[in-house]
Amino acid sequence: MSSLLLRILYGFSPPLHRQLFKWPFVLAAGKKDLIDLPVLNEEDLEEQFVRGSGPGGQATNKTSNCVVLKHTPTGIVVKTRSVTHNRKLARDILREKLEVEYKGEESELLRRQNESIQRKQVKRRKVNENIEKKRRFKETLNAEDFGFKSQEP
Amino acid sequence: MTSKTMWLLGRLMHRHRGGLKLSSFVRSASCTAEGAVAPPVDSSVTAEQAVRLWAQHFTLHGISEPLLSSQYIIAHVLGRKTLDGVDRRRLKDPLTDTERVSVWKLCTKRLTSMPVQYVIQEWDFRDLTLKMKPPVFIPRPETEELVGLVLEDLRLIRGESYGTDLRCLEVGCGSGAISLSLLHSIPQLRVLALDQSQAAVCLTRENANRLGLQDKLEVQHLDVMGDALLSKCGPVHFLVSNPPYLLTQEMQSLQTEILRFEDHAALDGGLDGLSVIRSILVLASKLLKERGRVYLEVAPCHPPVIRQMIEETMPGLLYLETRCDLTNRRKKVKQV
Repeated sequence: MSSLLLRILYGFSPPLHRQLFKWPFVLAAGKKDLIDLPVLNEEDLEEQFVRGSGPGGQATNKTSNCVVLKHTPTGIVVKTRSVTHNRKLARDILREKLEVEYKGEESELLRRQNESIQRKQVKRRKVNENIEKKRRFKETLNAEDFGFKSQEP
Repeated sequence: MTSKTMWLLGRLMHRHRGGLKLSSFVRSASCTAEGAVAPPVDSSVTAEQAVRLWAQHFTLHGISEPLLSSQYIIAHVLGRKTLDGVDRRRLKDPLTDTERVSVWKLCTKRLTSMPVQYVIQEWDFRDLTLKMKPPVFIPRPETEELVGLVLEDLRLIRGESYGTDLRCLEVGCGSGAISLSLLHSIPQLRVLALDQSQAAVCLTRENANRLGLQDKLEVQHLDVMGDALLSKCGPVHFLVSNPPYLLTQEMQSLQTEILRFEDHAALDGGLDGLSVIRSILVLASKLLKERGRVYLEVAPCHPPVIRQMIEETMPGLLYLETRCDLTNRRKKVKQV
């Protein structure tokens, strides 16, 4: 947490085109693992309803009906699967995308996602190693030479 | 697989990989109804590539909304509702073995023209995510508007917090979309939902449990057209329904997704499309409390016919208004 705070206080120099957009960052209070997400200005947002083709109603089953929420300064878009969407949820997803977009490599979100993936990879490797050990042990048991060779603990 | 198919796939792999190395080759050669086979793949395919590959494959086999189908399915496997909810960088990473197998399995189902909602077994309706299971009718976007209208109307009549003690009957609940949406917005509401399909009754109950709304919703397996309902339902403040309203002659020209996978009984309203609607109105005239309302989604040709039906044969009901949705279908409001 303190390392994040330090970064904000001393600033970091994003690429030039990103410096054009000033993001006020807000730390949400009360949550254990906080990520500071950008604050959204409603005037930067555009909502559009997309209608599928066809007669509509029961006679049609199209998945193209949705709401498109666009952040006009960056062109970043979030879509829903319903036409009367959860406004808060769509905005939260948009804020996450903006966080990644703005911070690039320094994105907190990305760092945590990578850590999680790496942890899973290490775990997978260990599981595979164990499976391999067991397989080899079984093979020694099935070997022609019945002189018992204890290779594994 | 025949040896010829193996040879053909081998050639495709060769061209695709440009080399002799045969890495983990996923043999998803399950055949669909039309004999369509899933494209071959190797273990380095990225999410982005899989989206393109499957979109092309869907197009090749005449599956509707090929790109959207591919995007929704792969986003779902990656734990998101839409592809733009997936991080841009994640899209360029190779899929894990589990993800890849899942994508191939689900997309192969889409090759049979199974609706995307049934393939991923869920869909959104207003603020809710609901479980979907064939052949239970998939909620349509127009019905989201119906729920919006009902809420708006109730606020007008009963005040901004909908008053106290509100009871509602839904006829033909399907997956529970309408009832659960209303319950989600109105804490004091209690709903009795009916469906003539046991599968729909089960799915509505399952969705109610998933949303924690099971204590406020009673679901019964009853047919509004056949069963003696009055003894089973008490008086209610309003009735709501998206009943089958298609004309029987319209049924044969429906898209494959609907014809092959959705319950026809949820769509077919008989010769004039009004057979179920008629029964609902008769029920309403007996069940509604004083000045209670009925909210129905109907076909564009229905409003004048229904108005006449009520004026001539249902003295207890008064036709109030017709509201159009954004595609000019009709929603209707009636009063006792």
